[in-house]
Amino acid sequence: MLKSLKSLTLGVVAAALMAGVAHADITVYTAGPQSLIDKLSAGFTKQTGVKVNVFQATTGKVMARIEAEAANPVVDVLISASWDTATDFAKRGWLVKYTSPNAAKVPDFLKTETAVAQGISALGIAWNTKSGTPKPSEWADLTKPEYKDLVNIPDPAQSGSSFELTAALAGQDQFKLFKDLQANGAIIAGANADALNPVLQGAKAAVFGAVDYITLAAKKKGESIDVIFPASGTVIAPRPAMILNWSKQQDDAKKFIDYMLSDEGQKLVADQMLMPARTDVAADRPLIGDLKLLKYDTDAVYGKRKETLAEITKIYGGK
Amino acid sequence: MAAKGSSIGGFAPAAWLAIAGLIVVVAIPFVAVVLQGIFPNLGQGSLAGPFSSFVTTLGDSALIGMAGNTILLGFCVVVASALVAVPLGVFRALYRIPFASVWDVLLLVPFMIPPYIATLGWIMTLQPRGYLQQLLGFNLAPFLFSLPGMTLVMTFNTFPVVYFAVSRTVEAVGARYADVGRVFGATPAKAFWRITLPLSAPGLAASLMLVFAAAIEEYGTPAALGRRAGFQVLVTGIDLRITDWPIDLPGAAILSILLVAMSLATFLLQRWILARRSYQTVSGKPMAKDKRPLGSMQLPVLAAFAVVAFLATGVPLLAILATALSRTISGGLALDNISLNNFMLVFSGEADALVALGNSFSLGIASAIITGLIGVTAAYTVVKTKIRGRLAIDSMTILPNALPGIVVAVGLILAWNMPWLPVTPYNTGFILLLAYCCILLPQPVRYATAAFQQIGDNLEAAARVFGASGVTAFRRILLPLVFPSLASSMLLVFALASRELVASVVVAPVGMQTIATFIWRQFEQGSIGLGMAMAFIAIVITTLLPLLLLTLLRRSGLVAE
Repeated sequence: MLKSLKSLTLGVVAAALMAGVAHADITVYTAGPQSLIDKLSAGFTKQTGVKVNVFQATTGKVMARIEAEAANPVVDVLISASWDTATDFAKRGWLVKYTSPNAAKVPDFLKTETAVAQGISALGIAWNTKSGTPKPSEWADLTKPEYKDLVNIPDPAQSGSSFELTAALAGQDQFKLFKDLQANGAIIAGANADALNPVLQGAKAAVFGAVDYITLAAKKKGESIDVIFPASGTVIAPRPAMILNWSKQQDDAKKFIDYMLSDEGQKLVADQMLMPARTDVAADRPLIGDLKLLKYDTDAVYGKRKETLAEITKIYGGK
Repeated sequence: MAAKGSSIGGFAPAAWLAIAGLIVVVAIPFVAVVLQGIFPNLGQGSLAGPFSSFVTTLGDSALIGMAGNTILLGFCVVVASALVAVPLGVFRALYRIPFASVWDVLLLVPFMIPPYIATLGWIMTLQPRGYLQQLLGFNLAPFLFSLPGMTLVMTFNTFPVVYFAVSRTVEAVGARYADVGRVFGATPAKAFWRITLPLSAPGLAASLMLVFAAAIEEYGTPAALGRRAGFQVLVTGIDLRITDWPIDLPGAAILSILLVAMSLATFLLQRWILARRSYQTVSGKPMAKDKRPLGSMQLPVLAAFAVVAFLATGVPLLAILATALSRTISGGLALDNISLNNFMLVFSGEADALVALGNSFSLGIASAIITGLIGVTAAYTVVKTKIRGRLAIDSMTILPNALPGIVVAVGLILAWNMPWLPVTPYNTGFILLLAYCCILLPQPVRYATAAFQQIGDNLEAAARVFGASGVTAFRRILLPLVFPSLASSMLLVFALASRELVASVVVAPVGMQTIATFIWRQFEQGSIGLGMAMAFIAIVITTLLPLLLLTLLRRSGLVAE
């Protein structure tokens, strides 16, 4: 019986699992939406015949995998949701220098020698239009009594863009806004999706600093939700794409970057309600030119990351 | 580790199989984690700066709070699970309960509901403007986001472990020993407390330990509910170290070792309690399995079953279904908001949902078979032989119980992605299989160990006297006797493996989706409805498949009921 169990096991395993082993030509790790990378890979394969193997997770989990794989890395192209990754990896000397011919129309602040943005998301106030609260227009509006106990803040420790917003706003008034929000019953509510879900159902009225494209996609599906970009300014999160220097398929990887920045690739980005990196590609949403951006020194902000997070933890109580 | 001097069986192949399996499945990833804790740069293939991470990690002032919270939560869940499950299990074992098999199925479903989905279901039901408020006009948010709320949600997820263990072991003990007590003048209550319950201790203690280990290892519920209650546990701390750039793998490894130490401590405690006496009740004498009528207790007992089944199965399932059937979440519970769109998307094949289902179910079946095989041989070796190093084998089987899924995943990557390995399961589906086997191995081992402890040595000895070889005695006598316990634990492995999330997300080979990673990605992108539709389908299949299998086995006479 043991023997038959064993052979059965091997049979089942072999049959079922080998099917999942793809022999693709390039491997892409992405922190972007699964449906976007699926469409980009399909389009790329159709155009070049090169297959794409995808691993998709949050930025943190993608990084954990790269860190654990460091002895024998397999990733060729990395698309992160945080520009910080591109800076950090460049410093470690892990990236290949490449400027795609299609990057000509990408603004200078969205590309470096080693990385270029795939698309950009921005943070805004996600507001439930049926919540019975007045439409907010400014970050500070959420400290008003109408929003008592009705505001979620994504955890700045779990999301790069939330952290930048927190640091930029806190730098303006020594955390006064965050203290006022806390006094008004706002809470830190996990990662981006965890903060948005209660607002969809109506348990909360607004997310302070929601990722715009997820919210806009929900609105497109018919959810009673809207995104407001405060006139006082917000932060954007460009999503850097980069080629790793251990890649054995650097030419195909470069072709992938070219395709991602082509008219077709950028349209797929725009379809996800992200801002395309190229300024000459249209999108059905507010673009960078329509937004006012907060001014802050990225290096200084990240240099004080620990202190900023500790202060937020102090204001909002233990985590 | 020479396999000499085994007591009666002399079934050395079992020991060798168990040891080999345990080394591949448990020891390799665990050693990788320990080495990572000691050598911070292990990932880059360097052994520089040993122990340099210990000081910073263990010197963290938040650590004592997190460790205390972890133990407190585990303790609360164990107590609450025992309070809910032990009375129900005992009634189920000793009395004729109307619709008994229906209650069994209903109490089995919570196993099949992934904890993070159940928690999300509870949040969507109890939060302000949640389903409860939409139906009855009030919400229970302050209760939900607190230690009692967290305890309750986790209890409803884990108490079936105790319920099934208690009902099985008490049934095996039967009323016979208590009847002897009654003959000698004990009251029914006294006979139960002094005879039946103590004799059922192996199953009860093993299941409570599983609950404790599961509670301190659980990620989804403390992350979703605890954060808002200001209640951080070790697992959420570990997760933060792994997902927050710069990644702190050594710190996560050290916290995991701490978690493993906690689990081992409860394990040794359980062993110490059980080692003080014998629990052999299956002696080969025929016994009547007559159950008693409930009499006047019928109504209250049925009510208790109904309330527990509704809270543990009904509420999460209804919340999942309501969300899956909603066109939009903000539309709420309204007739014009009902839509089958989400279910159609799952079956349209566009989103790869069916592939994910297929992947998870084949992985689940394979994990159940492998862990069952290692489990039964390891349990046999530990209980029925006198091989040196039994405690080491037994301890190895409990290690994974306290290893958070994400740490197992990192350990597997570290171990199997070494550049000098000629072949590696890494980046194939086999790495997920290894992960699931590692995480779930304790289930079959604990169930089979409890079952072996109740089997008298004279049964195997009798077979040997009549000329059966060790292998034959094991196969013809012992295996059939433990098979009911083993089979239920293998079904449990199947259910748990097909929904495992945390390790799957990190270790899944490129391009491969499982049920859990599919659902999780939908949630991440705000498509809660689609995720819930997938969850509902997966729950239905993981419930029906084992039931079908059990019915078939019963028909073929392999499992008695």
